[in-house]
Amino acid sequence: MSSTTTAITLDAVSKSFGELVAVRELDLDVRRGEFFSIIGPSGCGKTTTLRMVAGFEDPTSGTILVGGRDVTRIRPYHRSVNTVFQSYALFPHLDVWENVAFGLREARRPRAEIATRVQEAIKLVQLEGREHSRPSQLSGGQQQRVALARAIVNRPDVLLLDEPLGALDLKLRAELQTQLKDLHRAVGITFCYVTHDQGEAFSMSDRVAVMNAGVLEQVGAPEEVYRRPQTGFVADFVGASNRLRGRILAADGEGRYRASIDGVGERRVSGAGGLAQGAAVVVVVRPEDLELSVTPAEPGGIAATVVDVAFLGAQRTVRLESPAVGALVASTSGGARSVERGSAVGVTFRDEHSWAVPVAV
Amino acid sequence: MTLACFVIPLGLIFVYSFGSENLINFNVEFGWTTANYRAFGSSLYLDTLLRSVVLSVGTTLACAVLGLTLAYFISRQGPRTQRLLLAAVIIPFWTSFIVRTYSWVDVLQNDGPLDNLAHTLGILGPSSHINLLYTPWSIGIGIVYSYLPLMILPIYVSLERIDPAIYNAGADLGATPWRQFRRIVLPLARPGLIAGSIIVGVPAMGEYVIPEILGGGKTLMVGNIIANQFQETGNYPFGAALSVTLMALLLIVLFVLRRYQVTGEPAT
Amino acid sequence: MNIRRHPIGAVLSALVIAFLWLPLVVVFIGSFDTNSLLTSWTGATGHWYSQAVNDPNVRAGFETTLVIAVLSSLLSLAIALTGALWWRRAPGRARLIYDGLVYSRIVVPEVVFASALFFLFLKLHFTLGLPAIVIGHAVLNSAYATLILQARLIGLDPALEEAAADLGATPWRAFRRVTLIALMPAIIAAGLLAFTFSLDDVVTSYFLQGTSQSPLPIVLLGMIRFRITPEINAVGVFVMLLTVALLSLAVTVLSTAGRLGRSSRRSRLVSLYER
Repeated sequence: MSSTTTAITLDAVSKSFGELVAVRELDLDVRRGEFFSIIGPSGCGKTTTLRMVAGFEDPTSGTILVGGRDVTRIRPYHRSVNTVFQSYALFPHLDVWENVAFGLREARRPRAEIATRVQEAIKLVQLEGREHSRPSQLSGGQQQRVALARAIVNRPDVLLLDEPLGALDLKLRAELQTQLKDLHRAVGITFCYVTHDQGEAFSMSDRVAVMNAGVLEQVGAPEEVYRRPQTGFVADFVGASNRLRGRILAADGEGRYRASIDGVGERRVSGAGGLAQGAAVVVVVRPEDLELSVTPAEPGGIAATVVDVAFLGAQRTVRLESPAVGALVASTSGGARSVERGSAVGVTFRDEHSWAVPVAV
Repeated sequence: MTLACFVIPLGLIFVYSFGSENLINFNVEFGWTTANYRAFGSSLYLDTLLRSVVLSVGTTLACAVLGLTLAYFISRQGPRTQRLLLAAVIIPFWTSFIVRTYSWVDVLQNDGPLDNLAHTLGILGPSSHINLLYTPWSIGIGIVYSYLPLMILPIYVSLERIDPAIYNAGADLGATPWRQFRRIVLPLARPGLIAGSIIVGVPAMGEYVIPEILGGGKTLMVGNIIANQFQETGNYPFGAALSVTLMALLLIVLFVLRRYQVTGEPAT
Repeated sequence: MNIRRHPIGAVLSALVIAFLWLPLVVVFIGSFDTNSLLTSWTGATGHWYSQAVNDPNVRAGFETTLVIAVLSSLLSLAIALTGALWWRRAPGRARLIYDGLVYSRIVVPEVVFASALFFLFLKLHFTLGLPAIVIGHAVLNSAYATLILQARLIGLDPALEEAAADLGATPWRAFRRVTLIALMPAIIAAGLLAFTFSLDDVVTSYFLQGTSQSPLPIVLLGMIRFRITPEINAVGVFVMLLTVALLSLAVTVLSTAGRLGRSSRRSRLVSLYER
């Protein structure tokens, strides 16, 4: 990739803390101007990766390039990268204006320029009128916006965000997610976002990377990762799923196979590329893709009993128990046939809604 | 780091000061060897050492009892009262050490306030006096007085952490106040007690000013003797020997106490 | 109310507190006593105060003490600050040693410490006197200063310094613009504490004074040994008021540290500093 289109390149980057390997041989590219997220469970190495890009940690091996430049050994204060911290880290003794101006002062920009740019940044995050407040006088959401402004005003090559919405309540989080996305479009800076909340990342990002135990499992657009997970871990992490065990019988075209699924029979399934004949797989079906009918099961379907129905407003989550395949979860939008506890139903799914992944190592 | 270069000289000073003691000691010991320590064994010095130990232990105990009572009481009060009481305890501590100690001369002397009080209350006849000043008792009182806040504070810190609900729970389970005290308060106060005992007992052993002022040159503690060796007699090696002995003694005590502190029980 | 529940405790506590304050009261009252024998009260006078103020010994001692206190507290701060900052990032073993150094300075009887230092200076052929006392006090009092600074440092969000670095500040500038400011209340309090301890110090001063002018506490000691008059009380009251005032200041500074001022005047001052 040429340096004009890549904002960040991680080349075989590893990081160990003594015995503990936090990041293992990571190869990653973030494109210029994109909203990129790294997601994964706690301890998967996503924050460590972010910190290495910021310069707070030195990689044990490998190189990091920002804007085409090798910054592996360069200190954070000389990198054109700015971070929004999880705890916001606003300077308590400075007011909003001074907080935002901090980086510009360090860069020794002329006073007039600082004034203009700070004003601009504050306007961008919609905090006009609060320039002279102290961080302690602001709400969580406002503090977060100050942190954003403080980072953006420096026009960095890359903006790093370390779980910035973690401390906020759900409604606020949703609001700020929208604002972040709008902000990203407005300033055009490359965003690199770290979170453990898959939904959050999916709603905002152009591309998502899933990490697990220091290793990159998959990178791709949200829809791609959701619909076509490459590994069992990714399948589980990005959404609830039903897992059916089975075996590949034969390939049936590009990314399509015929498989024998335990408890169901022979079905045509889609799957990750390169699955070998006879390979053990887990066939993943999303709850929303299960179809329930009151008529008893047809061939290729599954007979099950409803165990529990939970009403969630926009949807119903139905838990089912089937003697053939065990527990199942279905998600139906309200208004569908009302299904009650104890009723017997037939569960089916379409071929194109099934996805086979290799059994996790 | 450049910061380290400040720490090292400090450490050096401290380490070396002890090293130098031993150096002098050993240097001279080639010639004097046990003469120093034997002289030490003579009754005058042993007496003083014994008196110092007794005073230190005694005052530590007195401080512990008084301190525990007061710390416990304070810890059971509301937050504002607590702050007030703590201030009342700490502020006297802030005044000049010498002045505080000296004030006891005023109080304890014959024909002083305490004496007069004893007479008024009829405890003593008109011709006898309390004769407290310039005795080990006055030194003891002086030490307890000066070090009491140092005992109260650590104990208070330990007790302050106790959730008041625990006392209710104890009462709920049928414990009388006394048993509550023994079974709840004492164990929980233990770390504070030990810390306090160290902060009081160890320096108390080497006290100089208090015996000087309240002992009036008649009653001496180890601290005074050491000081005399250096300032008046000029017998440095002997002073060093005394110093080392004192430190050794204290290190042993410290060691024992720390084992109680760390494990919460006597280490076996 | 809790007093009712612990009547014994309340009474005992009251007695103890009275015990703690009694001597101060006695000294205070005695300073006004016309009768220099202190055995009976014969009327009030301010005579001793004027005598104290005019006594050349007392004045010289006071000046000396002040100089020593200022110098040694500054030195204490330097030692404590650099030490505490280093300690923050230090590996476990080194930390333990450092903590041990701090602890031992507080616990070891001052006589032992002073005599050892006396030795050291003797061996180094370092002249005793004011500089020696300053060093002695600094080494001793920096332990207390260190404790205060350490306590404050622990409470600092480490992300703040990272944020400063992220925004382009070199370590020195990050320190100056962020850490130092956050530490300022603790620094002031630690300095005041070291100052007060130095004012009050006897043993170390005694050992290290050599032939130079004695600091005030030792002058007082001399006065107590040779002639007991209420002048001592008067000087005592002066010193009491001074130390209490200083330490109250330290406490106030520390406790308002958490609540940073909201006045815009203050932010403008900070902006000036920032420039």
